Amino acid sequence: MIPPILKNLLRIKKFDISVSIILFITLVGIIGPFVYTVDPTALHAPPEVPPNNKYPLGTDSYGRDLLAQLLHGIRSSLYIGLTASLISLAIGVTIGAVAGFKGGITDDSLMLVTNVVYALPSIMLMMLIAAYLKERNPLFVALIIGLTSWPWVARAVRSQLMSLKSRDFLAISRMAALSDLKIMFEDLIPNMASYIFMAFVLLMSGAMIAEAGLSMIGLGVTRGVSLGIILYWAQLLESVRRGLWWWFIPPGACLVSLATSMLLLSTSLDEYFSPRLRGR
Amino acid sequence: MSTLLLEAERVKSYYHTREGTVKAVDDVSLDVENGIILGLAGESGCGKSTLMNTLMMKIRPPLYLVDGEIIVDGERISKMERKEIKKKIWGVKISLVPQSALNALMPTKRIIDFIRDVVKFHVDVSDGEIVSMARKRFEELNLPEDSLYLYPHELSGGMKQRAVIAISTLLNPKLLIVDEPTSALDVSTQKRVLKLLLDLKKFKIIDSIVFVTHDIAVLRQIADRLVIMYAGKIVESGTLEDVLSNPKHPYTAGLIHAVITPEPEIRKRGLVSIPGEPPNLINPPSGCRFHPRCLHAMPICKKVVPELVDISNGRKVSCHLVKA
Amino acid sequence: MLLKVKDLSKTFIVGLLRKKEIHAVRKVSFNIKKGEFISLVGESGSGKTTTSRMILRILKPSSGSVIFEGKDPWALHKIEDLKWYWKQVHGIFQDPFASFNPLYKVDRILYQTFNLLNIESDAEKEHLVKESLKEVGLRPEEVLGRYPHELSGGQRQRIMIARCYLLKPKLIIADEPISMIDASTRAGILKLFSDLRNNYGTSVIFITHDLGLAYYVSDRIMIMHNGSIVEEGTPDEIMEHPKHHYTMRLKEDVPLLYRKWKGF
Ligand SMILES: Nc1ncnc2c1ncn2[C@@H]1O[C@H](COP(=O)(O)OP(=O)(O)OP(=O)(O)O)[C@@H](O)[C@H]1O
Ligand SMILES: Nc1ncnc2c1ncn2[C@@H]1O[C@H](COP(=O)(O)OP(=O)(O)OP(=O)(O)O)[C@@H](O)[C@H]1O
Ligand SMILES: [Mg+2]
Ligand SMILES: [Mg+2]
Repeated sequence: MIPPILKNLLRIKKFDISVSIILFITLVGIIGPFVYTVDPTALHAPPEVPPNNKYPLGTDSYGRDLLAQLLHGIRSSLYIGLTASLISLAIGVTIGAVAGFKGGITDDSLMLVTNVVYALPSIMLMMLIAAYLKERNPLFVALIIGLTSWPWVARAVRSQLMSLKSRDFLAISRMAALSDLKIMFEDLIPNMASYIFMAFVLLMSGAMIAEAGLSMIGLGVTRGVSLGIILYWAQLLESVRRGLWWWFIPPGACLVSLATSMLLLSTSLDEYFSPRLRGR
Repeated sequence: MSTLLLEAERVKSYYHTREGTVKAVDDVSLDVENGIILGLAGESGCGKSTLMNTLMMKIRPPLYLVDGEIIVDGERISKMERKEIKKKIWGVKISLVPQSALNALMPTKRIIDFIRDVVKFHVDVSDGEIVSMARKRFEELNLPEDSLYLYPHELSGGMKQRAVIAISTLLNPKLLIVDEPTSALDVSTQKRVLKLLLDLKKFKIIDSIVFVTHDIAVLRQIADRLVIMYAGKIVESGTLEDVLSNPKHPYTAGLIHAVITPEPEIRKRGLVSIPGEPPNLINPPSGCRFHPRCLHAMPICKKVVPELVDISNGRKVSCHLVKA
Repeated sequence: MLLKVKDLSKTFIVGLLRKKEIHAVRKVSFNIKKGEFISLVGESGSGKTTTSRMILRILKPSSGSVIFEGKDPWALHKIEDLKWYWKQVHGIFQDPFASFNPLYKVDRILYQTFNLLNIESDAEKEHLVKESLKEVGLRPEEVLGRYPHELSGGQRQRIMIARCYLLKPKLIIADEPISMIDASTRAGILKLFSDLRNNYGTSVIFITHDLGLAYYVSDRIMIMHNGSIVEEGTPDEIMEHPKHHYTMRLKEDVPLLYRKWKGF
């Protein structure tokens, strides 16, 4: 049986479209490399061949198979996006929840830290850390992104919590002398679940874009491929000017459609979870 | 005869739950004429809010419209697509002030931002206009202007309720349904809100009002017609004067006798309450649903469901004691 | 004296940029004896709810004191002391829709009270919960196991009252507890409050806008206006010889069954 909430969500078109796109690309990224077992880093194909039967997406200037690159690229971009967003979410939710719940001086000091991190230009921070590390595997890149993009989550969770805190049902639980921890886990967090999930989706799309951004300035992963790295090489060897469209369009399109469908997904969730008087 | 703004024909709407089917609105027919205030009264849990949601077609599982037709201002909304209803009917032709004011507002949005969302959904107006519209309505409802810029939890109970009334009438709907709008208000504010509702009607900003409450003394002040509901069915309806001065259904009589107001007539009479408990709507009593609590119950009451019959000039009663 | 409230005040600060102070409660003082039934009547926004929350130890007062049986609840911090306090002083909130966490069945509200009571056996708990629901005129099988949105406003209010009945506190602060309950059920609920008083010596602070109701049920009525208590007295004094102009207006504005207001 489908839970009723999912049934209602499935009625929203935006939700259906975005979820299908995300699922499709994710499945391609997960299953693809097992089906198409060409090594993405091998250099033995002829260079700059347009798509044909042997190389469905052509090859790049070094003779690497671009379909293999794309499949592995999707996989590691998703991996970086997922890891980075989970890291930000963990930090952001913890800091936001503790600040909002405890209030007073705890709140003030945590928010100070948050605002400092928020005010730091995060791309600068990422560049500094990335430039410092000579070897960068996907986990490092995810860490760098995750550690710098949590502040808005902390702020948003805190303000959500502040508004939840003034709700009567919380006072009702408090009058039953439930412990703070219990109230946090029974009354507060579950009521924010949908919100946290939305934040997660947004973070993930942000993290994938950030990965591409880092790669484009040459600070991406040093081992393996990612969508950003493919684009980096394509840009470095002037693929756009030279009309090597099969090099930059597929990874660009994947990245853009993943990121936009995630944005779309979060707006559709927002629509579902927030309207009241607007008529449900 | 004046024209009908809303017609509901033999409406049944049930909640399908794990424990069984809750027959919250069972075979209800109701007309709202243009230009009247209709009061709906009845016991807690008898299906008033459900009926109002049904009239609006605000129907979501587990509530289902099982049978019947609803026509609002000539449009058969019981057959309409939800999207169309949302855009063309709600807020514009018919608006509902729900029973819970807090749940109607967004806890994370300031009142003004919320109003902006609601209005923009229906009509295309500038932010400035929305603010001035909202300001004017807030002033009429005696709400401080500042409260537009507060979050819902920063308002007192009564202020929230008035804010919701203000928002619901912003687009001048033809029919306004208010569900227990004054139960959280102090008497003075209540009087002001009632006066405002009357004024909204007088100035033709809205044409008719359906006013749901359990407080008959409030209905006494503003309603033109009275409809009494018991256990998912309408048991009596008629003009306010008729029903109050000469209740035909034993339940109506009981309800009126249970009213507490500081009046000598009532002090003399003392407090009377109806014996027994309201029935279970999953498995309601056979025949007349009121028979287990009725002092005048006869054998037939247990077996046959009484029809709601017109006894004279739109006065309707559903009771075996009353002959047409 | 069961409860002493002295100079209780609360000031809210709202707005981020243009900070503004709202003096919701200003220097309110009153006392309540054991078994006393007091009504707090006043206009919307006059500070009734805020006052009750400060006594219930939900909202910290800006100044002034609350003393219950010689103890200041705001000086209690140990969980055992807090349990004691909320066992003795319990409240019902104004909005029965907001009082329930929408994610849990309504049973939770009732079973939560066993955190304050010393009852071990599950059968005993179940029995008590069912009894309390019957007391407020609800059929246990009709409400238990349901989610809050599946119940009507009046049904939710009665569950909150059942919760107080389970606890049998020494002081109940009930904020508009029966505003959504119709007249025919109301009498039974009022009787419940008076039974609690007769059998357990429970005191009640009854917050209502309904002067008629206050007149019937209370020993003493306090009229609140703009954050202060402007008049207090027995129901007869208040109804027959109101002194403050606000009380007079309040009295005029009560809807009556046999008389229509001027201009309506
Ligand atoms: N979502 C739901 N699922 C199942 N049953 C429901 C649901 N909502 C309401 N009910 C039941 O339907 C009946 C009618 O509820 P409704 O809210 O219409 O009553 P009401 O007349 O508005 O009462 P009140 O005056 O207390 O607000 C009640 O018995 C209630 O328990
Ligand atoms: N959390 C809050 N933040 C800011 N202001 C608040 C807050 N709670 C209440 N107020 C303000 O305090 C004043 C008193 O509110 P309170 O809720 O005590 O009134 P009330 O007497 O209970 O009114 P009602 O009968 O309408 O419920 C109001 O002006 C309200 O706007
Ligand atoms: Mg209702
Ligand atoms: Mg209040």
